Amino acid sequence: MIELYHGGPTGHSASMLIALAEKGLDFTSRPIDLAGGENHSEAFLELNPEGQVPVLLADGSALTGTFHILLYLDEAFPAPPLGGENPQARYAVHKWGKYVETHIAPNLAIARWALMGGAADARPDGLPPARAALWRQALEGFSEDQVSSARRALEKAAARVSQDAAATGWLAGAAYSVADIAAYPHLAQFAALGIALPAEAQDWLARVAERPAVRHAAGDMPLVATMGPELGRWG
Amino acid sequence: MLEVYTWEPNANSGKPLLCLHEKQVPFTHHYIDMGKLEQFSPAFLAINPDGTIPAVVHDGFVMTESTPAMEYIDDAFAGPSLRPADPWWRWRMRQVMRYMDNVVAPSLAMLASNRLAAPRYAEVDEAEKRRELEKIPLPERRAAWEKLMFGKTPQADLDESTRRVAESFDLFEDLLAEAPYLAGEEFSLADINVMATFYHLPQSYPDDVNDQRRPHMMAWLRRCHARPGLQRGFGTGRGFITQRAADVRRLLGVEDAA
Repeated sequence: MIELYHGGPTGHSASMLIALAEKGLDFTSRPIDLAGGENHSEAFLELNPEGQVPVLLADGSALTGTFHILLYLDEAFPAPPLGGENPQARYAVHKWGKYVETHIAPNLAIARWALMGGAADARPDGLPPARAALWRQALEGFSEDQVSSARRALEKAAARVSQDAAATGWLAGAAYSVADIAAYPHLAQFAALGIALPAEAQDWLARVAERPAVRHAAGDMPLVATMGPELGRWG
Repeated sequence: MLEVYTWEPNANSGKPLLCLHEKQVPFTHHYIDMGKLEQFSPAFLAINPDGTIPAVVHDGFVMTESTPAMEYIDDAFAGPSLRPADPWWRWRMRQVMRYMDNVVAPSLAMLASNRLAAPRYAEVDEAEKRRELEKIPLPERRAAWEKLMFGKTPQADLDESTRRVAESFDLFEDLLAEAPYLAGEEFSLADINVMATFYHLPQSYPDDVNDQRRPHMMAWLRRCHARPGLQRGFGTGRGFITQRAADVRRLLGVEDAA
């Protein structure tokens, strides 16, 4: 039996909820209150010392790293296939998975944090050094430079979505895939942050949003002030 | 037609090169000299506008992300499979590569470039450095190069990188105590990814990576260095990497393959 610890239909957790719905998989839902800092509770840190959702319990172990859990689900439960229809599409799936984690999610977290004024109850003391440092920096507040460079990175991401979705309507090859599932919950937050999406990206977002599994799993996605993955430290 | 643009056969450049030599896939190799900043030349920017190496071009399909390109090479070409069949071990393989790509390799790159490249830039004229910086397309890369060229990497960042590298040795020792390779019983992309950056540890970090302190890492380094495919890949350098890999093999008592 699969269990999913998740922060509700937002960010990386929304990608997991969508993928499980697309695959038609039954799972036990374990919601974690991100706004209340439950991801930094002692009980949750036992499951994932990094204090990040989602965590998928399967095969007797706790899987972390959203994009790689998505690939795991696609490989362990091949129907319907969501990994890309040929090697080129599968490369694009991997490229997008990485880009979401290393460029989109960290910058989105900074821009969103700045807009929402942060979170009160972060309790970073139990985290390992790198995550604790990231949260302490967030609690001190990001500089104007950091916020504007995060917003520029997101504008560039919007352009990349637009460019890649223009050819087929999807991010990786001719079919809907894990690339769309990984990117969608993040791009869906851009409008609330005042970051404009070019027409092709807007159409892509609407195309993903109208899928029954997406409507079911992530129809209404709240904004939550929480830190994403770390921004690259060296280029 | 398969064309590969890399610098020396280590770090990100090493990933597709070592992978292709392991699978024995023929390709045309274009050497891009990062020492001369050739990755920012107009000729290379025409292939990858981001100005990052490696680039792998297969029948016109351009790939510029090194770890996804390794997955592509294993996916698209015949030869021994470099990914485990089991989904859980594949997850493990990718998480190891993610940790290496996001945490360990950038830390080592920050430390090594500050030790090796930064002193050279101290001699270079400021206007010249500004001109070089102007050629770098990605803002995050430009920021890193600026810190490097002007000796502005904060000490706290260097210390944090040192901490991360030290921590990774413990983690890899634990992973390799569980299985002979990083993704189980068989050699995989994870081993290539980590070897591309860690191949020299017994020489560069002798106090941390030796038979007493890290026996499982040392056994893994010997297993990997003994592979003819990796030896061929490490043999393709024009700078000091090829010699360094051969020196490390001797240090480890690993024979050169025929």
